[in-house]
Amino acid sequence: MSSKLRNFFIDNAVVILFVVLIAIAIPVSGLPGTFLMQEILTRLGRNTFLVIALLLPIMAGMGLNFGMVLGAMAGQLGLIFITDWNIVGIPGLLLAMIISLPISVFLGWLCGSIMNLAKGREMVTGFILAFFMNGLYMMVVLYAMGSIIPIMNPELLLSRGYGIRNVVGLDGVRQSLDTLIPLKIAGLNIPAFSFLIIAAVSYFIIWFRKTKIGQDMRAAGQDRAVSGAAGIPVEQTRILAIIISTVLAGIGQIIFLQNLGTINTTSSHEQIGMFSIAALLIGGASVTKASIPNVIVGVILFHLLFLVSPMAGKNLIGSGMLGEYFRQFVSYGVIALALVLYEWKRVTQENDSRATLRGGGAPAAKEAKGGAA
Amino acid sequence: MTSRSLFQRSCVLLGFIALSVYLFYIGKGHMLLIDTNAVTINGKELRSPETIEVSIDGKPAESMGRAERILVLVGGPKHSITIEVLSGEDKTVEKQFTIPTFMDSAVVSVPAILGDAPPESWITTFTAPPVEEAPAEQMQHEQDTPEAAAQASPDATGAGQPKP
Repeated sequence: MSSKLRNFFIDNAVVILFVVLIAIAIPVSGLPGTFLMQEILTRLGRNTFLVIALLLPIMAGMGLNFGMVLGAMAGQLGLIFITDWNIVGIPGLLLAMIISLPISVFLGWLCGSIMNLAKGREMVTGFILAFFMNGLYMMVVLYAMGSIIPIMNPELLLSRGYGIRNVVGLDGVRQSLDTLIPLKIAGLNIPAFSFLIIAAVSYFIIWFRKTKIGQDMRAAGQDRAVSGAAGIPVEQTRILAIIISTVLAGIGQIIFLQNLGTINTTSSHEQIGMFSIAALLIGGASVTKASIPNVIVGVILFHLLFLVSPMAGKNLIGSGMLGEYFRQFVSYGVIALALVLYEWKRVTQENDSRATLRGGGAPAAKEAKGGAA
Repeated sequence: MTSRSLFQRSCVLLGFIALSVYLFYIGKGHMLLIDTNAVTINGKELRSPETIEVSIDGKPAESMGRAERILVLVGGPKHSITIEVLSGEDKTVEKQFTIPTFMDSAVVSVPAILGDAPPESWITTFTAPPVEEAPAEQMQHEQDTPEAAAQASPDATGAGQPKP
């Protein structure tokens, strides 16, 4: 029994830690419940799609896809183009998604191909690749747009005549998705259409897992060598997982930015990977296992802590900046904690299996035997 | 790649291109200036009533007087305008109109709509008036030259000059 309890705490250490932190921070912050509920509903609609984009690479054994930033860049390029062409409303968002699609597919293919050359180190490869592609993105946005790529709207351009301004207003598409089905329950505005899209993509992920390609991905994630021997095209399957993830990240970034109503051209995409991964890990996911409930729980807990931490910091220490520092600390800290826990569990499992082979039996097995006796 | 899969992929690509063109057409944003200034069409002067309420695409109506303009942002080519005349003869007119895709800014003439003018005269392209040269800016440019600066403030010119 104690072993089960221990395993439960180890498996859910991050979730428990955050529930405790939030339980302390909410009363200290003094924020009203209706405000928190409204903010959480808005942020669920805004961020969940991006976090869902991380699920398939985890299933394919490629860990947390830090390369999703590439998809976010593609989404932003789509939004810049529709703002230049002045395409408004839902058609504008759909057109931005279609524009981002080929860019996301290409970047996803590139990312997946490079990750295949660095098997076992996909996460750090994706992380560095995102930095590299950020440089290319900056070159396109700050140099090519207006000089090589025609931009017709002079309000988008920097005063030197080329390059996109740092902040681009998305007035034409602002909250088009969120307000498409106006729904108000108990004084709370529900972004119903965004939730429907999230439900649809969640259903797609569940359905995809059951398909032949989905099963291949799971097999490749569990053991590459055995899958390859069984005739599964492991490398192609891994590339496909990253392409789908990048495409979903591009669409997710468009949904995210239409809710905010502005693009910070040079930095909106940078934090997306980190925050989405942190939210997923807080929801109880690991490097090898993640599900839709992990996404929902993670987004709620992560953003609840984001909301209450500035006020809690202000009330406790008298400085709201503490909460801002805490956000960064939480994002990076939870990723580090999840990686450490994952590695520790892996080493413990290896030691246990070695001990079992030597005939000593794993500590957990011994306890089970003792309990039975 | 087999010819069948090549055909399928080409169809998907063409489908996406067709969808993009359609989305561009139905989503193109326009700036409409609802105008109540008098217009002359076919030698006949048409004037707007004293007070009206105008609504575009069922949005909340705005009150307008004579010789006024209000700005409305819309998306797509087809729109409806509802004009309720509040002064004189009380009547409500509802008409449909289409804006060309590449007309970014358009002037919608209320007197033309109320005066039963032909639909092609309801909408005209808005051209912004030319920006006048700012005299202050010209003076600033003149002062930037060393001669002009010396003329403008002879005392100041000596201060920055290296002494022999």
